[in-house]
Amino acid sequence: MLERARARSGGGRFAGVVLGIAAALGLAVFVWIVGDIVGRGIGSLSWDFLRAEPLDAGRAGGIGPILVSTALILTIAIGVAAPLGLATAVFLSERLPGRSRGQRLVSTCLDVLAAVPSIAFGLFGNALFCRALGLGFSIVSGGLTLACMILPWVTRTVEQHLRSVPDAYRLGGAALALSRTTIVWRLVLPSARRGLVVGVVLGTARAAAETAALLFTSGSVMRWPTSLLDSGRTVSVHIYELSMNVPGGSDAAYGAAVVLLVALLGIQALAKWLTERWLGRGGEA
Amino acid sequence: MSLSPRTIGAAILLLIVAALGCELRDDGETTLVLTGSSTVAPLMTEIAKRFESENPGWRIDVQAGGSSRGIADVRSGLAQIGMISRELAPDEKDLRAWAIARDGVALIVHRSNPVRALDRSQILAIYSGRVRNWREVGGRDAEITVVTKAEGRATRQVFLEYLAPLASAELHADIIIGHNAQAIQTVGGNPHAIGFVSIGAAEVDAERGTPIRLLPIDGRPASLDAVAAGEFPLTRHLNLVTRSEPGPAIEALIRFARSEQLHDLIRAQSFAPLQP
Repeated sequence: MLERARARSGGGRFAGVVLGIAAALGLAVFVWIVGDIVGRGIGSLSWDFLRAEPLDAGRAGGIGPILVSTALILTIAIGVAAPLGLATAVFLSERLPGRSRGQRLVSTCLDVLAAVPSIAFGLFGNALFCRALGLGFSIVSGGLTLACMILPWVTRTVEQHLRSVPDAYRLGGAALALSRTTIVWRLVLPSARRGLVVGVVLGTARAAAETAALLFTSGSVMRWPTSLLDSGRTVSVHIYELSMNVPGGSDAAYGAAVVLLVALLGIQALAKWLTERWLGRGGEA
Repeated sequence: MSLSPRTIGAAILLLIVAALGCELRDDGETTLVLTGSSTVAPLMTEIAKRFESENPGWRIDVQAGGSSRGIADVRSGLAQIGMISRELAPDEKDLRAWAIARDGVALIVHRSNPVRALDRSQILAIYSGRVRNWREVGGRDAEITVVTKAEGRATRQVFLEYLAPLASAELHADIIIGHNAQAIQTVGGNPHAIGFVSIGAAEVDAERGTPIRLLPIDGRPASLDAVAAGEFPLTRHLNLVTRSEPGPAIEALIRFARSEQLHDLIRAQSFAPLQP
C-alpha cells in the first residue's frame, strides 16, 4: 500500500529530494561539529589529562577534579529530580482526571518551567540555595539548581510514557479488584520504565551541557572536591572559562569538549543498553 | 541483572545522605571567598594556589562572574574580596581597591591589513563613525567593520577615556561583542575589521597564529612590556576590592598578591606587574 502510494505521486519525488537535502544538512552539521571538536581536541587527550589537576589556570595539566565535581553535581541533580519527577508524573497521569483544572494547572506550570532560560535558574539557585539556605558556592547548590531545571523535562517525559500505557491494563487491574496503588505500582510503572530511563537521560544530557545555571551556584573552583559543600566547576563551565577568559586556553578547552562529548555518548549508549537488556520485559510502552 | 531500580535508588539516596553527613565538620581552615571579574579570576586562581601551597591551613575559593558581581558580593558579605578589572566608580567609594596588576587595551586589525599605525584623531574618526572606509586612513578601498565591546565592559571604559570627550552613546559599532576572545575571533576572521581588546589576550592569540596585528598607539608599541614600563597610554589596573577595614587574613592575602615574588606569575597569565 505504502509503496504504491509513494510511487504514484510524481510531486512526491520533489518533496523526497527536499527532505533528503534537509536530512543531509542536519547530518553534515553534526559531522562538522564533532569532527571539528575531535580534530582540535584529540591532541590534548591522554590518560593524565583525565586524572591530573589543572595547572596554569587550566591551560596545562588535566581535568581530574573537574570530572569528579561534574559527576557529583549530576548525581545530585538526577538523584533529586528523578524521584520527584516520577512522583509528579504518576500524580498527573494516574491521580488527576484528564483535562481537570488541577491537571492543566500543574501541566502549564511545568511547561512554563521548561521554558525558563537557564541563567534564570542560576540566579534563583544563587538566591535560594547559596544565600537563603546558606549552602554558598557548592556542589550541593549546583546539583539542586540543576535538579529544578531538569525536573519539568523528566516529569513530562515520564508522564507521556505513563499515558501511553493502554487503559486496558488499568481496567483489567480494577476488574481484579486491585487497589489503585497496586495498579500503578505493579502494572503501569513497570510498563513505563523506559520512560523513566529516557527522561533521566534527557535530563542528564541537558544538565551536563549547562553552564549559565552553574556559574552562580557551584562556582568555578578547580580544586579536588573534599566535600559536597566545596565549590567545584563542571566540564562545561571549564570549557566556557577556558575559551572566554583564559588567553591561550583553547587547546585545553577542546580537549575537555572531547571528554564531554564522549561522556554524553557513553550515557546515551548506557541508557540504550539498559532499556534493551534490563528493561526488555515489559519495557515496550 | 538482579539490581532492581529500587535498590539503585536506595543506594544513591544513601550515598547522598552519607556524604552530607560528613559535611558537619570544621577543620580550622582559614577560608576566603573571592568573586568578580572573569578577567582577573584566572590570575587570582593561580595566585591563590601559590598562596595555599606556601601557607598550609588556608583555603581560597576564586569565583568568576563579572566585576559588578564582585562589588555586590563584597557588600553583601558573600565574598570577602571582590575582583574588578577597572577602577572603583564614584558610587563605590564605600569599598577599598588594591591594585595587583596592569593590563593594556590594544587596537587590533587583520594581519593582511596594510595599515600599520593610526593616530588618535584617526581612531576617533573611525570610532565615531565619521570615517567609514580604510582608504581614508591610508588603507585599501574597503568598508571598515567596527567591532565594539558591549556596554559595561571594562575595556570599553578604558578605550572611551582615551577618546574623551566622545560619549559612550556616540561610540560607533558595526558588531558588538562581549569577551576578548570573541573580538579576536571576529577581527581574525574579517580582513576589514578593527577592534579593541586586552593586550595580553591579543598577544597570546597573535603568537598562536590568529591572523591579527596589534597597532601601536601614540607611537608606543602595543605590548605587555610597554604596559609594564608604564609607557602605554591605554592601561587599566586589575584591582582587588575589600570593605574599608579588611581583617588580618584578608590583608595577608592582598599583601601576598601585591608582592614582587609574583611578577613571573603575573606575566605568565598575560598581565603586566605594577612595577616593571
